[in-house]
This record gives sequence, C-alpha cells and structure tokens, in this order.
Amino acid sequence: MADTSNQELTFTSSDGKNLQVPRDVAERSLLIKNMLDDLGDATEAIPIPNVTENVLTKVLEWCTHHRNDPPTTGDEDDSRRKTTDIEEWDQKFMQVDQEMLFEIILAANYLDIKPLLDIGCKTVANMIKGKSPEEIRKTFNIQNDFTPEEEDQIRRENEWAEE
Amino acid sequence: MTPRDMTTAPSSRRRPSLSFRRPRTATVSAIPTPPRVGLEHDTWDGLSLVDSGDCMDEHVLEDVSHFPEPAQRRRAAKSFSSLRHPVDGLRALSRRLSVTMRTKSSRAFNIPHQNDHKLGTYNANSSHEFASSASTLQGFPISLPIPGNGLEPPVLPDGMYSGAAARAAAAAQNEMVRKMEYIKLNNQDSESGIGIDLQDRSEFSDLEPGHVRLDPMTSFPSEIIAQVLSYLDPESLMNSELVSRDWREQASSKHVWRHVFRRCYAQRRLADSRPQKHLAVGLGKSTFQQDWKKLYLVRRALDRRWKDGKAAAIYLQGHTDSVYCVQFDEDKIITGSRDRTIRVWDAHYPWPCRKIIGPPPGDVNNTGPVHDPEQQSSGRSPFLTIRPPPTRSAEIVDLSARSHDYHSASILCLQFDDEIMVTGSSDYSCIVWDIKNDYRPIHRLEGHTAGVLDVCFDERYIVSCSKDHAICVWDRRTGVLVKKLLGHRGPVNAVQLRGDLIVSASGDGVAKLWNVTSGLCVKEFTSKDRGLACVEFSHDGRTVLTGGNDQMIYQFDANTGELVKEIEGHSGLVRSLHLDTDNQRIVSGSYDMSVKVFDSQSGELSTDFPGWTTSWMLSVKSDYRRIVATSQDSRAVIMDFGYGIDGIDLLEG
Repeated sequence: MADTSNQELTFTSSDGKNLQVPRDVAERSLLIKNMLDDLGDATEAIPIPNVTENVLTKVLEWCTHHRNDPPTTGDEDDSRRKTTDIEEWDQKFMQVDQEMLFEIILAANYLDIKPLLDIGCKTVANMIKGKSPEEIRKTFNIQNDFTPEEEDQIRRENEWAEE
Repeated sequence: MTPRDMTTAPSSRRRPSLSFRRPRTATVSAIPTPPRVGLEHDTWDGLSLVDSGDCMDEHVLEDVSHFPEPAQRRRAAKSFSSLRHPVDGLRALSRRLSVTMRTKSSRAFNIPHQNDHKLGTYNANSSHEFASSASTLQGFPISLPIPGNGLEPPVLPDGMYSGAAARAAAAAQNEMVRKMEYIKLNNQDSESGIGIDLQDRSEFSDLEPGHVRLDPMTSFPSEIIAQVLSYLDPESLMNSELVSRDWREQASSKHVWRHVFRRCYAQRRLADSRPQKHLAVGLGKSTFQQDWKKLYLVRRALDRRWKDGKAAAIYLQGHTDSVYCVQFDEDKIITGSRDRTIRVWDAHYPWPCRKIIGPPPGDVNNTGPVHDPEQQSSGRSPFLTIRPPPTRSAEIVDLSARSHDYHSASILCLQFDDEIMVTGSSDYSCIVWDIKNDYRPIHRLEGHTAGVLDVCFDERYIVSCSKDHAICVWDRRTGVLVKKLLGHRGPVNAVQLRGDLIVSASGDGVAKLWNVTSGLCVKEFTSKDRGLACVEFSHDGRTVLTGGNDQMIYQFDANTGELVKEIEGHSGLVRSLHLDTDNQRIVSGSYDMSVKVFDSQSGELSTDFPGWTTSWMLSVKSDYRRIVATSQDSRAVIMDFGYGIDGIDLLEG
C-alpha cells in the first residue's frame, strides 16, 4: 500500500468552506479514517456537513497537535473515565466560550475523536463541579422546573442515611 | 479440669519477649455501666478508601460488570452505514444535528439573564462584587470551606446549598476556573477564545451577560451527558440532580453513579499493590441491579462515623484466657487464644461462635465488665454495647479430633486466606489448616525451638518467627522448610511478607528487612530505645511501621531505611499495628488498654478508644467498616462503625 500519510485531503464545512487537511491529521477522526479505509483514496472534497468552518478549524487544530498520539484502541470506556485530569495544552485549547465548547464536543462525537470528546466532557464536568444547584443553573441558564415539594423530596433522598 | 490447668509447659505461660506483669483483669462482680451516647466530634479528614483485600477483591475491582450502554452509543457510529454514500449520509445527519444545535442556541440567546438582574450583578467586570453580593443575597453567612484535595470534593461548611460548594471549588480550583471557558468575550467572535488575556477574566464571569449559555442536557445526546456527569464527584452529582427535571433524570442514572462511586472509592487502590490480607473493601457487589448512589450514601454515613469515632461494641465471649490474635473477613472472625483453642465466629448478627478448634473447653460465664468506664472517660466509648450470649462449647467443638490434630499450647498468631489458615503456637509448631474443608489440619510445620510468635504467608511461602530468634520460610504447598533466617539477637515478635521482602521485628529493638530469595538481611530499622512488638509493611512495600516498648509508632522508608515519622500517643507498649492504606488509617492496640486510629498521611491521632476492654490490647485489625481488637481479658471486641446504618450490608462484596 502506498504511503498516504503526506496526502492532503479537502474537507468542506457545513458553511461551504474548503479546508486542506493532511491525511494523518484527518485520520484522528475515526469516522474519516474508516471512511477512507472503505473508499480508498479520496480525490474529491469530503463534506463535513455537521460542522461549521470555525468549529472544524478548531477541531483540526487539536488533531494537528495530537497527530502523533498513539491511536485509541477498542472501547476502554472504564479506563478513559478513571481520571479527570486534562493536560495543559488541552486545557488551554478548551478556553473557548460555551457555544464553541459544545460545538467542539458535538463535532468530536460526530467525527468520532474519542480523546477530544473526553477532554470536552471533562471540561463541562469541571464547570459543574463544586457548584450548588442554583450556581449550576446560572452557569448554563437553566430554569428550575421543580416544585418546592419535589426539591425537598430529592434533598431528603440525598441526605439519606445521615444522622 | 479447666483449660488454664491444662497449660502445661511453664514457658508457654508467658507471652514474653516483651513480658510485663499482667495488669489486673476484670473482676466478675463489677457492674456494667450503661452505654453512653452522644459523641463529640473529632477532626479527621483522611477519609475514603479501604484496605486492599485479596485476589478476590482485586477481581471485583477490575472485572466490573457493565451496565448496558445506551442503545445509541454514538451518533457517528450509527451513521456508519450511510458512509457508503458519504455525501448524502453526512448531509442527512447534519440536518438532524445542526438543527438541534441551532434551536437550542437561539433559545438560549433569547432568554435574558433574569436571575442576574435580580441578583444585581448585571455588572461586567464585577467579580469582587459578585462574591459579596451573591452571598449576602442568598442570606447565608460565609464560612470558609476547605478546598478539596485531588479527587476529593472540598470539605464544605454547613449549608451545602448555600453556594458554599461553588465558593469552595473556586477557592480550591482558581487555577482551573480561570482556564475554563467562562471567557469574557469583549464582543469578539467565538474563535478568538485563544489568546485572550487570562487576567482579564473573572472567575465568576458566568454571571455576566454577553455570551451564550446553553443547557448541556438539551444540547447533547444522552451518552455525552452521561459521560460528562460520570466525571463528577458524588456531591456535585447530587447537586446536579437538583438543577432541573432534565438534570434529575440524567444525574440519577445508575450507569453514571457506578463510575462516580467507583472513582471516589476504588481508584486509590494502587495498581502495584499486592494485596496480602483478606480484607473487605466495602465497594458493594458489581451487579446490574446495584444501586450505586445508595452505596455512596451508605459509605458517606460510614465514613462520618469513623470521623466521629462513633462505633458499637460487640463483645465476642467464649475464650477462657488471653486472646492473642485475630483475623477477619466479611463472613467470619477467627481468634486464637492462650486457652489453646482457635474460635471461628460469625461476622454477622448475632455473632455466634461457629466452631472451636482445639481441646474441648469448659463453658464459662462471662458476666464481668467488658469495658473500663474509668478509662473511657478520656476518649470515645461505644454508643451501644452488645454482648451476645456465649455459644455452648459442646455444640461447636469437634470431639472426634485427636490431640495431635491441634495445638497443645497457646495460639499466638494466625493468618488465613481463601484456602488455608496458618496458626503458630507456644508448642513450637505451626499448623496449616484447610479452610475449605472444615479446618482440617494439612501439615504441621516443625523447626522452631521455641514458641512461634507470628506468622504470615503469600501464594509461595509461609513465614514464621519465633522466640528462638529465628525466622523460618516454608513452602506453602508442601510445608517443607525452605530457609532459616538468622540474625536477630532477641525473640522475633512479628513478621510480614511482601513479594520478595520480609520485614521482621525483634524484642532486641531492631527490625530487619530480608530478601527471601537470598536469605540475606538487606536493611535494619532500629528503635530509639527498647524492644519491638509489632511490624506492618505497606502493600506497596515502601513503608515499614514498627511499634513496641518505646510507646510510639515508627514509620520508616523501606527503600532508604530512613526514619520518616514518630507517631506518638500511646502510654504503654504498642502491641499491635494495622495499616489500612486505602483509608489512610493506622490502627494500633496497646498495653495502655487503648485502641487508637491515626491518619497514615499526617500521623495525627484521629480517634482514641481507651478502655474498650478491661486489659491489654493484644491484636488489632480493621477493614472499611470495623476494628476487631482482642484483649488479655479473654474477649475480642468488634468496634463496628457501621452498626445501625440503614443499608450498611450493601457495601459487602
């Protein structure tokens, strides 16, 4: 099989912009990798219709930085969730507004880039950690739709077995 | 003929090496005092995990049964079939996904931040103002929270819902919060998230208007939500349940709680630990039906009991003389005594004695006091005292056993695992028993020329040490003497085995580290003054603890031999030590008649239990839930921190 690692692919974002992507960077996405494995060489532009150009640029920035990471193997669901640490570069990478953060997570999910999905989910988890329910509501602009009785009920449940 | 009369060899009358006059024992006429309730609080922050158990526990940890994943694991995966026609497929998908996003986004955009208005913090760059205004508006005084450490949640002051949680997190995680996405965008577009001056950002900028805030529950498919929530700590997850009905539904998922509970309690077990002891870990059973959230609530209640020193005392009565040794698991407690018998007790209510191994003993009425009220005035006393009636020995002793089938003198030490139990005795021998076959004797290990003071084993070797100054290494399978380690200049009172290393402690005041393969002593740890009675080897083999006549606990670095810490607190010889690495507890029993719990990280005294028996403490062991201590007053006491906690049995493995 010919060496394809230097091959340039073209992605077309949902807003119709074309981006040039080295193949090894593109293959951080298992969706793309599997598609290329199935179809062989992609000579025409690959549409990424779920992802806008700005999000796709951001995702590809991550893929470029992590292009040499060892590939993720199989479903290591449990071990992936064992640590909540995020390495420094990724922390900086995730310093974006909430809308972009959520778009990145959805794009990572759609493109099947597990490590990026993990980092995104951890970042959202860090936004929730240590906060009161009211503070969580403010963080994500959520209306409290519980009745006071329901809230009491949940509180009692969570204090269960306390003395 | 009473059992005491049957003690023949005069040398076995003492458990010397470290001998002292025997203190007064219980007098039968004393009146038991009513148990006292209401305990003051103590400070103890080193909560959480349980000692590593044996291979079975390891299995429980590693071989987790998975809850079924949501049917639609990942949208990308589902779309694979459509990749044969990538363009159409992707496009079709995009319609679904981006439509969802757009809708949510615009909705979020349209809702003005009403709460912010109400709070009066609709004021950009007002982080300081927020800190004060939010707290006063919520009507709670600010008490200082203690930042969390590592994976642990912060220790919060009272009023969990007063916003203290967030302030605590802010205090502890300023760094992280600053790095989060709460960027004040200054009207730049969303791509400019990089390169923004971090100093400009408020830690509380989520209260500021000007950027979009989205509800993850409506923005994400449920598998992503589950992943986000599974990274939370338990208290944050419980707060999430109170956010809204959507959050409640997602945050109470068993799948999420399994991850959260196990990360909280199972993860600190070191990967390189080689569990030697048969100790329960208190992580519950991994079943599809397991209610992990309930497990967490029970575990939290239990850990508070430890912190407060609140335990019930259950006295195991039946031995007729000093109880020298004990080991237990969730099913049974096994004790060995100067009365020459080994007793197997049920670890559950009503704690009957199931079996007596040894010469048929007479029955005694243990009607004397079980604890010492005078001593207890200075520390934690039981909140409840339970004295199950002694089981009639005729019903539980094997009368067909012949005298060569059991020890002819005091049982000084024992250890068991799933297959065998090994006991050491003043009759100079060890006996290996088949635990799966009703404790039938398998071998008798003969080679020592004095009483066998301590014994331990792993999957290869049985190691025993003796008053004869020697350590013997035996083949576990065959019972053949493999090696004799000579070098101690006094009786060897205690021995522990970790991998290729043996650590031993002697009445001559020296603890030695041996390589079991070469048989050579590779390191020495010396006490300040006098003889050593006990030794503990951490599961990772890096730390050695010794205790003895200096009345303190020494902590050594096993690699360097360096004395790391001197842990003070006891006012008598430290007779027994137990290290529970996962829960960061050192439990010690002393001739000062107390059992004490120390924080293994700081060395601070966590809880003091003086006078729970009426004489010297001879052996202590602990697991996630209880301490079992044995005394010279012929009793073993279960100090049960889980007693009466609703659902405590769920933690059993």
